[in-house]
Amino acid sequence: MKELAGIWSELLDLPPDEIPHDVGFLRLGGDSVLAVRMSALVRKRLGVALALSDVRVETTLGELAELVRRRASGEPTARALPIKVTPRPDPHAEFPLLPLQQGYFVGQQDGWELSYDSAHYYLDYALTGVDGDEAADALADAVERLAVHQPTLRARVTSDGRQHVLPVAAPGAVPQVRVHDLREASAEEIAAALRDVRHEMSTRGPDPTRGPGLDLRLTLLPGGEGRLHLGLSLLIFDGWSSSVLSRDLLTHVADWNAALPPLEIHFGDYVTSLAELPATETWQADRDWWWSRLDALPGPPALPLAADPQEVRPITMGNREHRWSADRWAALRQQCTSRGVTPSTAMLTAFGVVLARWAGHRRMLLNSLQLNRLPLHPDVQRVVGAFAATMLLPLDLDPAATFAELATAVQATSGEHAAHNLVTGVEVGRELARRRGSRRPVGPVVFQSVLGVDAAMGGRPPEDAGPLGRVVATDYFHQLRTPQVAIEVRCFELGPEMGAVFSLVDELFEADQVTAAFAEFTALVDTLADGSGWDRVPGLAEAADPGQEDGGLRLGLLPEPAVRHQEGPPADELEQAVADVFEELLEVPVLDRGADFFGLGGDSLLAVRAVVRLAKEVGTPVPVREFLADPTVAGVALAVRSRLGDQR
Amino acid sequence: MIGLLGGTGAVGRTAAHRIAAYGLGPLRVGGRDLSRATAVAAALPGPAHAVRVDLNDPAELAAFCSGCRVVVNCAGPTYQVLDTVARAAFAAGADYVDIGGELAAKDALSSRDTDRGSRIAVFSAGVMPGLSGLLPRLLADGRRLRRLDVYVGGAAVFTPLSAVDALLTRGPKFGVPMAAWREGRIVPNTLGPLHGVRLPGFPVPVHAWPYLTTEAQTLAVDTGADEVRSYNVFVSNRLPDALASVWAEVADTDPAALAHRADAVTRASRLDRADFGAFYVMLFTARPHPGAPPGPTRVLLTAVDSYALSGVVTALATRAVLTGSVPEGVHLAAEALDPDATAAALHDDPLVDQLTVL
Repeated sequence: MKELAGIWSELLDLPPDEIPHDVGFLRLGGDSVLAVRMSALVRKRLGVALALSDVRVETTLGELAELVRRRASGEPTARALPIKVTPRPDPHAEFPLLPLQQGYFVGQQDGWELSYDSAHYYLDYALTGVDGDEAADALADAVERLAVHQPTLRARVTSDGRQHVLPVAAPGAVPQVRVHDLREASAEEIAAALRDVRHEMSTRGPDPTRGPGLDLRLTLLPGGEGRLHLGLSLLIFDGWSSSVLSRDLLTHVADWNAALPPLEIHFGDYVTSLAELPATETWQADRDWWWSRLDALPGPPALPLAADPQEVRPITMGNREHRWSADRWAALRQQCTSRGVTPSTAMLTAFGVVLARWAGHRRMLLNSLQLNRLPLHPDVQRVVGAFAATMLLPLDLDPAATFAELATAVQATSGEHAAHNLVTGVEVGRELARRRGSRRPVGPVVFQSVLGVDAAMGGRPPEDAGPLGRVVATDYFHQLRTPQVAIEVRCFELGPEMGAVFSLVDELFEADQVTAAFAEFTALVDTLADGSGWDRVPGLAEAADPGQEDGGLRLGLLPEPAVRHQEGPPADELEQAVADVFEELLEVPVLDRGADFFGLGGDSLLAVRAVVRLAKEVGTPVPVREFLADPTVAGVALAVRSRLGDQR
Repeated sequence: MIGLLGGTGAVGRTAAHRIAAYGLGPLRVGGRDLSRATAVAAALPGPAHAVRVDLNDPAELAAFCSGCRVVVNCAGPTYQVLDTVARAAFAAGADYVDIGGELAAKDALSSRDTDRGSRIAVFSAGVMPGLSGLLPRLLADGRRLRRLDVYVGGAAVFTPLSAVDALLTRGPKFGVPMAAWREGRIVPNTLGPLHGVRLPGFPVPVHAWPYLTTEAQTLAVDTGADEVRSYNVFVSNRLPDALASVWAEVADTDPAALAHRADAVTRASRLDRADFGAFYVMLFTARPHPGAPPGPTRVLLTAVDSYALSGVVTALATRAVLTGSVPEGVHLAAEALDPDATAAALHDDPLVDQLTVL
C-alpha cells in the first residue's frame, strides 16, 4: 500500500500520506494516460503485471492494493469469497436493501402487476398447556430480550428504500405483543375471533416503513389452549429467519435467563460487506456467466390464464395444500438417497413435470427462492434478516427420460446455476427484462423448498415453551403474499411430517386446472415415496417451447404494453425536468424523450427514488405503478401532466 | 483560380469535387504525385488542371499559390504544415482555407508581423474541430443555455497521418480530459468516462470520453452556456486504450517518435470498423433556462465517412470566403462560418445521411 501510495503521489503530485484510500484516481486528478503509467510503475517497482482493463480511472487506492495483492499472490479465481464481514462502527447507520428486498419494497409501493400492500408471511400454530396468567408477560419479556440479541427485530425501511436498525430505547422500536383473551368465550365466539384475526393478519402485513416488521399476537383459549400468531414482513425476515426467530423466541420464553451465544455480526454488517462484492473478480465471473446465458433462457411455463395479470388486483393468494405422513416422508427421503438426489430436487423435478404437462411444453424458466446465506462469517446462519435471494433456473426436460434421469439432470443444472450465486436472480432478471424489453415479471413461477432446514439448524424446533406450554407444530394455518408471483410451490417440514403448498393468484387461473395440477403433483410425489415413479417416463409434450397457435392468454406470452413515444429531444420543460431527474439517478446522459429508465440502466428501486425526487421537482407525486408502466421520459412526463390536470 | 493542396488525399478529393461542383472557379490541384493529381483533376465536374508541388519547397509553393484567389490546404500533417502554406498564400495575395491547423497554426500566423492586408485565413475547416464547434451554435441562437453537450465520434479508420495528428492532439492548446465547463471556467477532473451508453443517433452503445477541447471552451464563452460537456465517442475502448498507451510511453510530443507508434492507433481503428462498420455521428444537445424563448434543442448529423465530410466542410468554407461572407483576418471555421447557411448546405449534401435540427 505504501509503495502504491508513493506511485500515486508521484503521478498525481500529492503528498503520499494525503492520498485517501477510497477516492478514485480520476477524482484525484488522474486520467487514462496516468493510469497506464501507473500500471507501468506497478510492474516496474512491484513486479506485478496488471492488465489495461484492470486499471480504470475510477479505481481507488484501496481497490488497487487489493488487486495487486491478488495478482502478486497468483491467487486463483477460485470461490474463496474475497470479502469479510465485520461489525459496522455505527450499528444504527442506514444501509441499502438487498435485491430481493428491493423487489418486495417496490411491490409494496404497488409498483407492478401482482403486487400487494405488504409482502408478508402469516403463520399461526396451536399451543397446549398454556399458563394463561403468565404467558403474555413471558412472551413480551422474551421479545424484549430477543430484540437485543437480534437487532433486526428493530429494523425499519425508509421511504426511499434504505434500511436501518432503531436503538433499543427508541420509542416503539421493539415489537409489542397483542393478547386476545378468549378463555371465557364460547365456541362460536372463538371461531369468529380466529377467523377475524386470520383475515386481518393475512390481508394486512406489518409495514416496516411505519413500524416493526413483526406482528406478534397471542390468543388464549379455554382449557389451557392457545394460538401464537406471527405476521412477518418479507422485507425484514426471510424463511430461514422465521425459523431462527421462532426457535430463539421459544428459547427465551421457556427460560427467563436464557442467553444465546452472542452474535458478532448482524444483517446490516453482512449487507454492508456485500457492497464490495461487485468489485471482485469472483462476482464479475458470475455476472459474465449469467450474461452469456441470458439470450438463450426460455420463458416461464406458458400456463393458460383466466385473466391478464395486469388486470387483476389480488388481496391474498389462494392455497392448495397437502401433507405427507411421517412414514411417507421417511420413505421419500430413503428413495431420494438411493437415487442420489436431494428431496428438494425430487420435489422440484415433480413440479417441473406437472408444469410441463399443464403448459404443453418442456423447456421453461423457473424462479427459485434461495435461503442460503453466503458463508462470510461463522455467525451468519444464526442471524435474523432478509438474506434470501432468488435464482433463475431453466429446466429442459427430456421427453424420453425416466423421472430418475430427469431428477439427476435437474440436480446437475440446479447445482451449476447455484455455483454462480453471487449474482442473484433479481439482478439477472432485471438484465433479462431489459434485453427482452419486457415489463412483465420474468420469473412468475416459483419453487421454494426448506426441506432439510431443520436438520441444518440442529434438529427440530423446541416444543416446550415454558409458560406458553407446548407447540403443536402440525396444527397450523399459514398464508403468504409475495409480489410478482403467479404461482409458487413451497415444500416444508412440520415436525416429523412433510407438507407442500401451491400458493397462487386465484384470479389468474381456472380453479379446476389448478386443482388437477396439484392432484397430479401429490400423486407423483406419492409414487416417488413408494418407489414406483422413478423409472417411469412421465410422458411430456414433445414441444420444447410453447406454440403460438392458441389464441388464449398464456403466462410468458402476454402482450407487452405497446407504448411508443416519438423519439426526439425532450419536447418541453416538464420532459426536460424528467430527463434531468433520470440523469441524476442513473448517471448517464438522458437525451431523448423516448429514453427508457430501465434501458438506461435503472432498476425498480431507483425508480421509486426517481418518483420521490420528481415529486420534489415538479410538485406532484406520480404513482410508482404509472412510472413503471411507461418508464420513458415522455411517459413519465405524461403521467405528471395528467396528475397536474387532476388537481386542477 | 483556386489552388487546392492535398487534393489526392481522403479529404482533398471530396473538397475538390465540391468546389468544382459549386462552380466557384477553375481549380489548380496540387500533389506530390502528378499522375494521381491529374487523375483527380480529370474527374472533376468543372475546369481543373494538375500541378506537381512539394509544399516543403518554398519556391514550388510560391509558384503554386501565384495567381490564386484562394489557396485551400487539405495536406497534413498539421503540426508540420502549421502556417507555411498560409504565409505563401498571403504572399501571393490569396486568401486561405485549411482543413486543420487549430490554434497552433492560427496563433503562428497571427503572431507574425507580415503584412496581412485585407487577407482572410480560415483554419480548422473540417469536421472536428470545425463543424463540432459550429453546429452547436444553432442551439444557442439568442438564448442562454443551462447546459450544452457535445458528443462526436463513431467508427472511422485512422490513416497513419491522421493517427499522428490525433496523437498530437494533446495538451492545453487542444483540450483538458475529464473536465467540464461550469460558470465561466474549466472544472478539471469532474466528468468520468461513460461506458456502454446509448446516445440518440448512435447505432450501438458507445464509450464516451470527456474531453473539453479548446473549441468547446470557446463555444462555452461565445454561447454563454452555464455548463458545457464535450465527449469523444468511441465504439469500443480500443482507441482510448491505444491512445493512452502511446501517450504514456512517449513522453514528449515529438511527431517522429509518435509516428513510430501510430500503428497501434490505426490498428485499433481498423478493428473498430471491422466490428461495427463505418459511421460518424455528431450530436449536440441544449438545455435552455426555464422560461427561455423556444428554439431547437438538438442537432444531429450522421454520415458514413468523416474524411469525406471534412472535405465538404472545407469546400463550404472556401465558398464562404469567395462569396465575401467571412470578414478579413485569421479565423477558426467554427467562429467564422454562418451556422445556418452551413447546416442548410450540409443538409442537402449526399454525403450527409441525416442532419436534423429539432
